[in-house]
Amino acid sequence: MIQNKIEVSGLNFAYAVQPVLKDLSFNLEPAAVGLLGPNGSGKTTLLRALLGHLNNWSGRINFMGTDISADGRAARKQIGWMPERGGILPGFSGVGMVAYLGELGGMPASDALQRAHEVLNFVGLADQRYRQADTYSQGMGQRLKLAQALVHDPQWLLLDEPTSGLDPKGRTAMLKLIRDLANDHNFGIILSTHLLSDVREVCSEILVLRDGNLLQHTKIESTVCTGTDLFSVEGTGETAAFILALENAGATVEVRKQVITVKLNSAQTVIIQAAQQTGFSLRRMEPVTDSVEDVFFNLVDA
Amino acid sequence: MPVYQRGYRSWDQSTKRGAPPWWAIARRGISSPLGSRRFMLLLMAALIPAVVKGGFLWFSWKMGDMGNLLTGGWTDITAVGFHHFLNTQMLFVAIVTTLVGSDLIAGDKREGGLALYLSRPLSVRDYVFGKGLINLFYYFMVTLFPALAICIFGYLVTRGSTGMDMLFLIPIQTVSYCLFAGTVLSLTLLAISAMGTRKVFVSLWWVLLLLGTEAISQVFCFINPWLRVISFTEMIHNAGHIFYGTGTTILISPYASLAIVTAWGVGAFLVLRKKIRPVEVVS
Repeated sequence: MIQNKIEVSGLNFAYAVQPVLKDLSFNLEPAAVGLLGPNGSGKTTLLRALLGHLNNWSGRINFMGTDISADGRAARKQIGWMPERGGILPGFSGVGMVAYLGELGGMPASDALQRAHEVLNFVGLADQRYRQADTYSQGMGQRLKLAQALVHDPQWLLLDEPTSGLDPKGRTAMLKLIRDLANDHNFGIILSTHLLSDVREVCSEILVLRDGNLLQHTKIESTVCTGTDLFSVEGTGETAAFILALENAGATVEVRKQVITVKLNSAQTVIIQAAQQTGFSLRRMEPVTDSVEDVFFNLVDA
Repeated sequence: MPVYQRGYRSWDQSTKRGAPPWWAIARRGISSPLGSRRFMLLLMAALIPAVVKGGFLWFSWKMGDMGNLLTGGWTDITAVGFHHFLNTQMLFVAIVTTLVGSDLIAGDKREGGLALYLSRPLSVRDYVFGKGLINLFYYFMVTLFPALAICIFGYLVTRGSTGMDMLFLIPIQTVSYCLFAGTVLSLTLLAISAMGTRKVFVSLWWVLLLLGTEAISQVFCFINPWLRVISFTEMIHNAGHIFYGTGTTILISPYASLAIVTAWGVGAFLVLRKKIRPVEVVS
């Protein structure tokens, strides 16, 4: 059985003497992975490294069992890439461009043309497929770029800012397409974006980069605290004893301006028990939702 | 199920194999300009000298010894004449290759298409080879193909009296020379195209190289005949004497010209290696 994993170990890359990627190591299973980081953190360079576009890099990238430095072409057969800028070839109709890129992906001309019609229909450009691609609006251009990434039926999609420049309606439609591909068609997707809300809507994992370093690779649900494990508490009574009881129960407690923040699985029950034991009168107990944004800013600002 | 109801479906791979990527690039690049009526008219205009040469060939055969009055220069039906004919086509070569080739790489770089090409399972070599074939094809369209057509026409019209020269020797010489000259011209045009992103810029430099250096050398060769070395097309033509086994009319040895033109080709190749990268390096 073919492993659909991407394995990266010890990836280093520098433009001239400026290091861009520093000793990155991670493994990705097919899923929707959000690639986050501030400007210049190395997101696009990482995508280019996965495509085998970089020279003079060190480390190892294993793409679905293929070492990309040994056989980048074989790896690229399984990758669909949607660039942030450019990516519309001049002089082509929509269907012509997608079919042409399908042929370059190794498809016979007849198959490429048929697939081009299918994927353009999937992305919602069926009515505009014969129009010159360089006259498309920005939203249509983004859809066209997604279609060309899909035409050769890859296993992984590398999407660089796919919602860039889209209006809210276009953005929602694009995210729906990406979500559909990840959830219903088992694509591996790496979504590089500045928009944390896009990641929240689509992705199940995040990779956070800063200055070329990998700050975190984790599943969103394990990092982002839901309302069941983070609570903000206020009350009167023996605060010190109440905090001690919480800590004895294994909770992480923070006190700031008489507001006690408690972090623990099933914290609600523990807080009530601790209050009962110590005679602490609870005035307010409120779940705190730690969003992707919080996680991102905590990591990047640290 | 109709296509609009299908949603996303995986590709049901047929047993057919896809064409090599360089072939897909070349085929697209060759067929695309043929859709333009003006370009087709230009190609037809480029065939006029060949038609005239064919007419001269017919007349000189029909008129027997009187036909000798018509010989000389590019209308000559010997190896010298064919070599000369290819040189006179250089104006059409300049126009046609400028129209077809100047935006081949510059356009891809301008529109971010280069990285898109190289995100596919193809190498830089495939890309350059495919693009180079486009230039080579159109160079052949105005030089080699008409010349070969004249050879076949000449052999048929004169009912074989031109002998093996017209059937074998001249075609082989012409193919060898056109392959050499076409490869160097094609690589050089690609290299200039890879150095810019604007079609106008590339076109200007290309025309300057083909026709400008010729004009400059014509002026300066009165000062010093060795200054003919400036002319790119003159050097190609002079190197052609080796292929046709004819004598040069300038001071510079055909072998020196061959070396100079080969150096142009190697230089162009090195430029392409440096310039064609999927990632723009900002230094």
